[in-house]
Amino acid sequence: MRIVCPFCGERELGEFTYLGDAKPVRPAASASEDEVFDYVYLRDNVAGQMSEYWYHGGGCRAWLKVTRNTLTHEISAVEPAAGVGARKVGA
Amino acid sequence: MAEFSWVSRSPLEQGLVTGVHGARGIKAGVLLTEIRNFDLIQVMARRGKGVQMASAAEARFGVAAPDVPKAIQTADASLIWSGPDQYFVLSKGSKHTMDTLTRALSQSASLSDQSHARALIGVSGTKARAMLAKLSSIDLHPQALPIGTAAATSIDHTSVNLWRGNDRPDGQAVFNLLVFATFAESLWHTMLDAAAEYGVDIRHSEEFA
Repeated sequence: MRIVCPFCGERELGEFTYLGDAKPVRPAASASEDEVFDYVYLRDNVAGQMSEYWYHGGGCRAWLKVTRNTLTHEISAVEPAAGVGARKVGA
Repeated sequence: MAEFSWVSRSPLEQGLVTGVHGARGIKAGVLLTEIRNFDLIQVMARRGKGVQMASAAEARFGVAAPDVPKAIQTADASLIWSGPDQYFVLSKGSKHTMDTLTRALSQSASLSDQSHARALIGVSGTKARAMLAKLSSIDLHPQALPIGTAAATSIDHTSVNLWRGNDRPDGQAVFNLLVFATFAESLWHTMLDAAAEYGVDIRHSEEFA
């Protein structure tokens, strides 16, 4: 599998690290326990198009948002995550 | 109190043995040169200040800093792209140090002195590309990597900044590698192994290739 980094161009999978689902959005501080539990633990097991965070750690160190088909590994879109991915891992 | 005298030493001081190594009876196909004593400053735009950093850099260097993977040559420095809104300033002779660059760029960018944190290795020779191709997954063909092209990539699982410098007078391509100092010896030995079958001529220099 190769990913076309919007900054570096086409690169091999080994330069990237997978973070996970890009869909969950951090709930507000006033959110209920159920909402926080859902955000922290519950993930969809998608068969098909999925939006994911990938980190180009072996290259430009940018976080990317990749739209990938989990059945075929076909990647239809790659865009910069603009800090969202970094925030998600608490950096 | 112990008194310290900080003397900078090359991270390859142990690993680098000058001379011709590897295959015998043929002209060395790979020339590996470590370049020592350089000034290297990492410049990264502060959040949302990419445009201001670009104009400050242009005022300082007389040319636009690279915003795509390229290495740009100014009169007395190389500006090497290292990621979105960031680049290295590589020079010699204290022309561009933290002191001078902070005044010019710190309004819009964060600076970090990497002079002693990286090793700089020049790879050249008739078999340079064949040797690097064993280790790198990027296309090093002159059409894909013309002079002045830079890449942030991994070689043997080690992050490097690679860029193609000007060809040598004999027409051979020059690939420059910046690698973290603590990974330099590991990468060095990996390259030696990859180069051994072609014969490898090892040097170190105070001058850029």
